[in-house]
Amino acid sequence: MTFLIISQILNGLGLGMLYALVGVGLTLILGVLNIPNFAHGVLYALGAYFAYSIASLTGSFYVAILIAPLLVVLVGFVLESKGVRRLYSAHHDYQLLFLFACALIIQEIIIIIWGTVGFSLLPPPNLSGAIDFGIIIYPKYRLALIAFTIFIISMLFLFFTKTNYGAILRAGIENRDMVKVLGININKVFLFTFGLGSYLAGLAGALATPIFGLTPSMGMDILPICFVIVVIAGLGSIPGAVIAGILIGLSQGAATIWYPEATNVVVYLMMGLTIIFRPQGLFGTR
Amino acid sequence: MLILSKNKLKMFFITFFLSLFSFTSMAKDTVNILGIYPFSGPYADSGELQAKGALVALEEVGYKINGKKIKYITRDSETKASVAARRVQEAIDSEDIDFVVGPWSSGVALAITEVAKKNKVMYYFSGGTEDISGKKCHKYAFMWAANAWTAMDANLKIFKKAHPNAKKIYLFVVDYAFGWTLQKYVENLAGKYGLEVVGVDRHPLGHREYSTFITKAMSKKPDAIYMINFGLDAISAVRQMHNFGFTPKKPVVMSWSSGMEELIQLDPAMRSNLIVGTNYYSSIDTPENKAFVKAYKKKTNGIPPGYAPGAGYGLMKMILLGMEKSGSTDPKEVIKTLEGMKGKAFFGDFEINPNNHQTVRPFFVLKTKPESEMKNKYDFADIVAVSSTEQPKNMNMCKNIGSF
Repeated sequence: MTFLIISQILNGLGLGMLYALVGVGLTLILGVLNIPNFAHGVLYALGAYFAYSIASLTGSFYVAILIAPLLVVLVGFVLESKGVRRLYSAHHDYQLLFLFACALIIQEIIIIIWGTVGFSLLPPPNLSGAIDFGIIIYPKYRLALIAFTIFIISMLFLFFTKTNYGAILRAGIENRDMVKVLGININKVFLFTFGLGSYLAGLAGALATPIFGLTPSMGMDILPICFVIVVIAGLGSIPGAVIAGILIGLSQGAATIWYPEATNVVVYLMMGLTIIFRPQGLFGTR
Repeated sequence: MLILSKNKLKMFFITFFLSLFSFTSMAKDTVNILGIYPFSGPYADSGELQAKGALVALEEVGYKINGKKIKYITRDSETKASVAARRVQEAIDSEDIDFVVGPWSSGVALAITEVAKKNKVMYYFSGGTEDISGKKCHKYAFMWAANAWTAMDANLKIFKKAHPNAKKIYLFVVDYAFGWTLQKYVENLAGKYGLEVVGVDRHPLGHREYSTFITKAMSKKPDAIYMINFGLDAISAVRQMHNFGFTPKKPVVMSWSSGMEELIQLDPAMRSNLIVGTNYYSSIDTPENKAFVKAYKKKTNGIPPGYAPGAGYGLMKMILLGMEKSGSTDPKEVIKTLEGMKGKAFFGDFEINPNNHQTVRPFFVLKTKPESEMKNKYDFADIVAVSSTEQPKNMNMCKNIGSF
C-alpha cells in the first residue's frame, strides 16, 4: 500500500504541475483582461503540434520545447491584437463567442495541416525509460517534468513578486482601471499578458506530448480542467491556480486507488464543493 | 369559390393517380441504403474511414444491383444514440430507406436496432455489443464482427501460447456496457488458459491519463496487462505503459483493436511487445482482400485500411451479397437468403447463424513487429492466429429471433 500511495502522490504531482502550468496561463488572462479565454485549450494543442513538428525536423526534443511555446506566443499576439482587443468594450457574450470560434477554427487548421490521425513523440533518449527506486518504479521523463515545472513556476513567482512588470500585472489583476490611470499603456499590458498566458499553454502542450501524444481534440479535452482550476483557485489567483492544479492531480491519483471509475468525476466534484462552500475559490477574494 | 366540372374533376383524379403510380415506379427502380457513421463526436475519425470503405464496395458493382440503381446516403450519428435514432427514422421516412449499415458505437447500435425493427428495415451492425445478436436480437438485425466471446477466447489462447510461463494478468476496462461484457468473458475464460486475473480497474470512457492505473497494476506484478478499451483510450494507455517501462519488458494485450488506426498513432518503440486482437487487418491473405486493399489505398494516398474501413466495406458487401444471391432488393428476401448462408468473404470463410444473425467469422490476433522487421511504413504487425470458434450456444442470449 505504501508503494501505491507514494506512486500516486508522484503521479498526482506530475499531472498536477502540468495542469498548474495551463491553469496559471488561463487565470492570468482572466485576471488581467477579464476574459475567459476559450481558445486556451487550442493554444495548448498548438504547442504540442509545433513541438512535434520541430522535434521531427531537428531531431531534438529540447529545441522543440524552446521554440514551440514561442510560436504559440505569436499566435496569441495575433489573437489579442487583431481580435480580442476590439472586443474589450463589448459585452462578454461577444468575447466568448469570438474566442470559442477561434478555438474551433484553430482546431480545424490543426486537422488540415496535421490530419485527423494522432501522433506519438518519444521523450529525449536521456529521459527515456524508468528509474527503479526499490519501492517504486517511475518514468524519468515524468520526474524531469515535475522538476522543470517547479522551476518554471518558481521563475513565474519571482517575476510576479520581484519585478516591476510583475507588479504591474498583479496590479492589473486587482484593478486595471487604476493601472490605466497611472499612465501605463494598458494595451501593452494586455498584449504581454495574453502572450505570457499563451506561452504557458504552449509550453504545457509541448511538455505533455511524450505523455499524452497528439490528437486534434487534445485542446478541447484539457479546457474543462483549466476552468475547473480557475474556479477552485479563485478568479485571478496565480498561487491558487498552482495549488488547485496539484490538488486535482493528487485527487485523481487518490481516486484511482479507492474508486478508479471516479477519476474524472472527482475533478468536477471538487469544483462543485468549492462553489457550494467557498464560491470565491480557495484563494479568491471576489 | 372554385367550382370544378365533372370532367375536370375526372382529369384531376386521373392525373393524381398517374403521378402516384409513376412515383412508385421510380421508387422501385432504386434500392436505398443508409450509412449511419460518426462524422463528429468521440469517434469522428472512424466515420470518414467507414464511409470510404463502403464506397469501395459500391464502386465494385457500379452502384447497380439486380438491374436497379443503388441510392446511397449517409448521416452523422454524432456517436449519440438519440441523434442517430432520430436521423435514421428521418431518413427512412423521407428517403424510403431499405437497408441501414453502421454505426460504430454499441450504444448507438442498440438505439438504431429498435428503429430498424419498428420500420422493418434490414440493419447490419459493424460490431461491439453482443446484444445485437444476443438479447436484443430480431429478424431485421445482423452482426458483422466476431462475437465478443470468440474474440476474448482467441486473445487469451494466443497470449498463453506466446507466453507459456505467464500466470497473472491485470485488466484495464473501459467503464460501459461493452467493456463489462468483455471483462466478464475474460474472467470466465482466464482459468481455461491457466491465467489468474489479479486485478481489474475500470476507467471512464475518454480517459487520457493512465499513470495512476499503471502504477496500481504494476504493484500486483502481473505478467501482462490485458486492455479492454478502444481508440484513443487504448493508445494513451499503451503510450504511457511504455513511459513506465512496462513494455517492452512485459506484453500488453489490446483485446478489441482497430488495428491499423490505433497502431499508426504509436511510435515504433511503443508498439513493441503488443498482442492485438482485431476483426480486420489489411494483410489478410485472400484475393478479395488484396483487391479491396488496392482499391482503398487509391483513395488514401497509400494508407491501408484498418478495422473501420474494413467494416464499412464488409457491411456493404454482405448486403450486396444478400441481394445478389436472392435476386431481390426486398429486405425480407435478402434476410431470408442471408440466414444460414455460408461463403467466402474478403476476411475469410463465414457463416451466418440463422438463429441469432451473428456472422460466424474469423477474429484475427496480431503480434506487433520491431521497426527493423517492417517491410514498409505501415507494416506494423503479423497475423499470428485466426480463430472462428463460435460462442457456446448456452451463452447466447438470443432465445427467439422472431419473425417478419
